[in-house]
Amino acid sequence: MRLLKLFVPIFLSIILIVLDARFSYLDNFKRFTLTLLSPIYLVVDLPSQVIDWVNDKGSENELLVSQNNYLEGQLIELKAKLQTYNNLTLENQKLSNLLESSYLLPDHNVKLARIKSISQSRLSKKIIINKGLNDGVTLSDLIIGSDGVVGQVTEVTPMYSTVRLLSDPTQHMPVKNSRNGIRGITKGLASNDRGMILKYIPLKSDIKLGDIFMTSGIGNSYPPGYSVGRVKSIDENLDPSFMTVYLEPTQNLNRLELVLIIEEKND
Amino acid sequence: MINQSQFILLLKITLLAFIVGAIALPSLIEMVSPFWLLLFFIYWLIYSDSNGIYSSAFVLGILLDVFQGGILGQNALALVISSAFILSVKKSFFVSNLTTQQVYVFIASLIYLIVFLITHISVQGLQIQWLVLFVPFTGAILWPVVRFLLAKLKQ
Repeated sequence: MRLLKLFVPIFLSIILIVLDARFSYLDNFKRFTLTLLSPIYLVVDLPSQVIDWVNDKGSENELLVSQNNYLEGQLIELKAKLQTYNNLTLENQKLSNLLESSYLLPDHNVKLARIKSISQSRLSKKIIINKGLNDGVTLSDLIIGSDGVVGQVTEVTPMYSTVRLLSDPTQHMPVKNSRNGIRGITKGLASNDRGMILKYIPLKSDIKLGDIFMTSGIGNSYPPGYSVGRVKSIDENLDPSFMTVYLEPTQNLNRLELVLIIEEKND
Repeated sequence: MINQSQFILLLKITLLAFIVGAIALPSLIEMVSPFWLLLFFIYWLIYSDSNGIYSSAFVLGILLDVFQGGILGQNALALVISSAFILSVKKSFFVSNLTTQQVYVFIASLIYLIVFLITHISVQGLQIQWLVLFVPFTGAILWPVVRFLLAKLKQ
């Protein structure tokens, strides 16, 4: 009887592992349970919220004014850069028309979110953000920082979302070289902190150290045109037929507090 | 069945384990941090009667799997098998000195880690950081602290 009591949960666990690894029947159950457990994030985040609140209350007027002035300056600088970008966009569109290219420039809605928690599990790389179903976040939305892609939404609850980072070993992303358009698919590397690998690139391809890879938009899973990683090393000896390219994410996750959720425009 | 006071203690312990596990730590420390739920569950297991332990381990493991966004059943399987070991040495554990208890916790953490890694590797391939192998050591080292804190919680 005691053995039966032991083997029933073991058997059930194995069935669940197989079902979860191979199929998606349990996704609704996971989403519902995660919603029930999400208040724990609120408790974990409480101390930092209290500190933020105390800091806000304790901030002097002069400090706020100087911060405001600094941010206004930044805004003007960014607006100036945006003008250049808009000109380049128009020029690019004209060139695309001339070349009869079907390339479309990215046009998306963005939402600001704050990171609540980082990496809850030791073998997967994930973050929790403070926007969820109630804010219109959906599964597979792309998450970016100021310097590039952070990851992809994998779980959504009403108040929070889980984002799988680019460096998670189960995260794959179609990318292309911004310099010459060479395409590939990145895969996270658990053994190399915050790194990615790009496999199956034909030998002698024109890839140089420092090249930037951006989302290619192939498969429509991710919007195109956002920086993913910079080439940090190239290995041509690992595979006789292909070169292996190692990328470091353009977005540094240290000190990252705010992220943007990218959504396709429906109109 | 689990009586009411044991159930309340289990609830408190579970909540605490989930909160402690969700606190963001530097990646190096996080990698070697112990299996909190296992440590907390061992404490509960030692002070409870034997009924309903495997089903409790299974349910808590499933909740942890969902919370961590991992493979459903991974922590559940590891927790059930580790609990079976602790249950087999329960009488000895109860009367042992702290050092012997740490050895038991180390073995339970090692069993947990092996099951956890086997599941992980069979589903996602050999993508692990080797620092994770230190987890049983940190579990054993932190056991006296956990035991002291949970004894205060139990009072």
